[in-house]
Amino acid sequence: MLVFDQLNKADRHLRLVSWLIAGGLAVLLGGLWWVQVVRSRQFAEDQFNQSYRTVRVPAPRGKIMDRHGVVLAENRPVYSVSLYLGDRSWRQSVLAHYKAGKDAARRVGAKQRPPSAMEKVLSWFGDEPSLVQLRRLSRDEETALGRAARYTVTSNIVAQLGDILGQRLTLDVTNFHRHYHNSLVLPLPVFQNLNAAQIARLQERGLRMPGVDMEIQPTRVYPRGTLAAHVVGYMRASVESSEGELAYFDYRLPDYRGFSGLEYSLDPVLCGKAGGKSVQINNLGYRQNETSISAIEAGRDLTLTIDAEIQRVVEHELARAVLPNGGTVRGAAVVLDVRTGEIIALASAPTFNPNNWIPGISREDFRAYHDTNTTPMLNRAIFGGYAPGSTFKTIVALAGLEAGTLTTQQLVRVAPNPRDPAHGIIYVGQQPIKDTAAPGDYDFKRAFKRSSNAYFIEHGLILGRDAILRMAGLLHFGERTGLPLAQDSRATLPTRDWLQQRGLPWRDGDTANLSIGQGYVTVTPLQMAVAMAAVANGGRVLWPQLILATNAQDEVVDLSARSGVRPHLREQLPVSARTLEIVQSAMLADTEDADGTGRAAKVEGFRVCAKTGTAQIEDRTGRNIDVMNWLASYAPYEAPRYAVVVMVQSGKSGGETCGPVAKGIYEALKKREKKLLVAQGSGAAVPAVASPLAVPAGGSSAETAKGLVAAVPAAPLKDLLTH
Amino acid sequence: MFTFGQTERQPRIEWLQLLAMLGLMVVSVLFIYSATHARLVDSIPWHKEYFLRQIFWCFSGVCAAILVCFLDYRSLSRWSMIGYWLMIVLLILVLIPGIGTMRGGARRWFDFGVFLFQPSEFAKLAFIFAFGNFLSRPVEELRAPSIFFKALGLIGLPFILILKEPDLGSALIFIPTGLLMMLVAGVPRRFLIRSVSIVSVLAALFLVDILFAPPGWWTIKLEDYQRHRLLVYFGKDFAPPNATPAQKIAAKKLQDEKSYQGRQALISVGSGGLTGRGWCEGNQTSLGFLPPGAAHTDFIFSVIAEEKGFLGTVIVIGLYSVLLFTGVRIAGQARDRLGKVLAVGVVTMLFSHIFINIGMNIRLMPVTGVPLPLLSYGGSSVLCSLIAIGILQNIYLYRRSY
Repeated sequence: MLVFDQLNKADRHLRLVSWLIAGGLAVLLGGLWWVQVVRSRQFAEDQFNQSYRTVRVPAPRGKIMDRHGVVLAENRPVYSVSLYLGDRSWRQSVLAHYKAGKDAARRVGAKQRPPSAMEKVLSWFGDEPSLVQLRRLSRDEETALGRAARYTVTSNIVAQLGDILGQRLTLDVTNFHRHYHNSLVLPLPVFQNLNAAQIARLQERGLRMPGVDMEIQPTRVYPRGTLAAHVVGYMRASVESSEGELAYFDYRLPDYRGFSGLEYSLDPVLCGKAGGKSVQINNLGYRQNETSISAIEAGRDLTLTIDAEIQRVVEHELARAVLPNGGTVRGAAVVLDVRTGEIIALASAPTFNPNNWIPGISREDFRAYHDTNTTPMLNRAIFGGYAPGSTFKTIVALAGLEAGTLTTQQLVRVAPNPRDPAHGIIYVGQQPIKDTAAPGDYDFKRAFKRSSNAYFIEHGLILGRDAILRMAGLLHFGERTGLPLAQDSRATLPTRDWLQQRGLPWRDGDTANLSIGQGYVTVTPLQMAVAMAAVANGGRVLWPQLILATNAQDEVVDLSARSGVRPHLREQLPVSARTLEIVQSAMLADTEDADGTGRAAKVEGFRVCAKTGTAQIEDRTGRNIDVMNWLASYAPYEAPRYAVVVMVQSGKSGGETCGPVAKGIYEALKKREKKLLVAQGSGAAVPAVASPLAVPAGGSSAETAKGLVAAVPAAPLKDLLTH
Repeated sequence: MFTFGQTERQPRIEWLQLLAMLGLMVVSVLFIYSATHARLVDSIPWHKEYFLRQIFWCFSGVCAAILVCFLDYRSLSRWSMIGYWLMIVLLILVLIPGIGTMRGGARRWFDFGVFLFQPSEFAKLAFIFAFGNFLSRPVEELRAPSIFFKALGLIGLPFILILKEPDLGSALIFIPTGLLMMLVAGVPRRFLIRSVSIVSVLAALFLVDILFAPPGWWTIKLEDYQRHRLLVYFGKDFAPPNATPAQKIAAKKLQDEKSYQGRQALISVGSGGLTGRGWCEGNQTSLGFLPPGAAHTDFIFSVIAEEKGFLGTVIVIGLYSVLLFTGVRIAGQARDRLGKVLAVGVVTMLFSHIFINIGMNIRLMPVTGVPLPLLSYGGSSVLCSLIAIGILQNIYLYRRSY
């Protein structure tokens, strides 16, 4: 270009000037090239980092429903008002407040000052200066004024909102400042849980106010409250990220994690994948706008095998069991489908309300739920171990009948207790063991229905502990039931290994104790229910199942088309049909005969087979400190469908405490079957095998069961997590 | 007197330079708009809109430049010494509390209610005229050391007064301007080389004292903010080496605060990339990371750089180079040594501003309050720059005696 010919000018001074300028401009261009082209990416990144913040948005959690679609846990939209600080008009009012406050503060201790020379000149032209020497404010004073201005303006808006909502609202000073300093990007929560009228009023008038926003946040709700609380579990606030999502966020919206029950163990299925959004902020940290950075994946819905109606009755009946000394009922009850292993109800008392953890649990509730005496958080149906007492005699009977050491006709003579002639006694070695049954001659059936300790100790000693333990092992006592719940204990089966590990000896007294379900042996109510089901269904020990199906939240599910779960066979008992028949009819006699211990569980038109149990719990010195009361049963006798096990601590006796509970449950089951049949419109008589409550897949024939043996999964949980 | 040589074939006005000037003014108004349109208070009266005010100042400046052209620069220079001493008086007055107005810790302005007047801007022009007049004596006289020392005195007086305001950036402009004017006027080289060496050694000593003096030693008294800017520029810690942890934390915080502007300017320029975000799309200004008070004045270049990228900044520098090189050409065509020295003075002054301002946007220079000629918002600066261009056109216009 023409202008650059200066560089070759003859005048050497001007040439030098030209070169200096050219050099200077070249340096600037080089610098700009370096900054804007070579290092541009880094600066763009710096800019992004200073002007964007990421926020984690939790995914909608899957519902938990019972087998008929009754919702046990779901998300409800909770409407809340919140305020985005830093809105233009908010900042304008803060600024105005700040200036007014500053002016006022500066006038405090202001002095008169002499006019300056310039002002004197200007005053000749009629420009009268104000001669007040305002005080200079320190930096701390200015900061405090700024804080006060922000709080005042915000609390005015909050009060205005309160007027609109018809609710006195105040803004907590410390909360406000904490929010301002820590999470300005997020809106300031003003009021939560709006009712319908408030939502309407807010939409009409409030949303026009600057920065005011209505937020809809899904909140976990357990609409049936305590119903099946131990199965469903509860949730607690969480700040963790799960696998497969962005790990680091600047901010997180409130999120919850399952802490017990299915909410905990199936959390990965239920919770889905959290998404993220990035919020653009300005130099003061105020939000400018938002963009989504990763999509939300909703969690999956869960359908349980539980029947909410039955579960309700079970919990109700259990809670009103009569205790001799009064107090809170501590116990558990299980209803199992004997054909499929589906759990129809699983209750533990006392219980808790999972809603109380959302958004946070109160101190009183927490204390009540962690009472060391009643332990409401404990799922007694599957966790811990409880002496089975006489219910264990069923196992002894199966083993003895199968081994041939026990026959139905053989009599055992029980001597009367010298101190208490109305009751029997038996000596094991020198050790006397008291009986609750009367002295006299006992055959199998009488011994079973009167629950004679002497009879079963006699036969237990003949049979030997290994045979008893083998039968108990086949029924998978002492092993986990494989439910997808964390509180799934083995309880105790005192096998040789078990004793060896603890260095315990085995004496005849221990065999005697084992024969009547006392001593080392403990079981869980669910384990006992599985054993009852095996007695009822022809010797098939099934894996208990709790999950009917999972499906995507937006999937339309036709409940009537859904088939039940396939039974997972765990063990086929090597027990003859005749043995089972003998035990079954003895169990029937226990409720139907007038002298049966389980007669309280008798239900008209629904023949219940049961075995009661009352285990004395002794402390180290041999004193009785507690009683475990049991009723293990199934029904109906002709075509068994349900196994019901009730366990109550500190009751009177198995029959008297648990019998009425079981009776209530069976009556509910009977009613429920009828009602569902009518609802289905089939009108036909109750089919022998298939009931509407639990639709079996594959029926109950032995071949099907055998075919399934190889395919039995150890834990259904794994399947759920990998799909 | 106004016989604009009708017989001449050559143009009477340097059109190329005027085009570059016009281009820069358009860019200025556009980006002042962009830098100020996203403001907190949106209902300000139209006459307070910065871009409209800038248009007004450009218009006034162009009028002033035309006025300057009405009188031959030689006639103007006869009055230059009076102008010089008048400016010195103003520079002294502005330092007196009650007359000069403080802004951001510096006393640089006269407050006339409707606008602020910054005498140091006009002092530069008065200096160039007076100094050019002083140097346009016979070359033999320039060889006398007494004249040389007088010349140094002429540079030193406004330099020291402006340094007192304090305004280091504006004061520094006098040194290259004065030196190059002396060179072109024919002051012996040995004088210049010596004085440059002395200035360099003094500057080096000054920096060493500021940056490396152990605590307790005597240090040159500087305003805190000047010390901080230098420390930031050279990447030195604020805290002395024997500071307690609490002091160190406080010093670190202060350092972050002090280096904030420069850092944000650099981020603006860098994040613009090759093509920029587009006009009015810059995040740095709309989100307030570039301080709202500085984005349209001293940091207007980083706004342009963010929104128009490297291509935009190359165009700006291209416009400036046209402006400067036509200035040098005018110096070459001047009818006498006075015209040549004046033109070189004006070009050097403009160039110094450009280099210091753009340099501070890309961290080549420490952050000083030097405006970018014609682009930065500011009445004094725009008027002064346009009058400077008027002087160049004047020299071009009267390059021959008709």
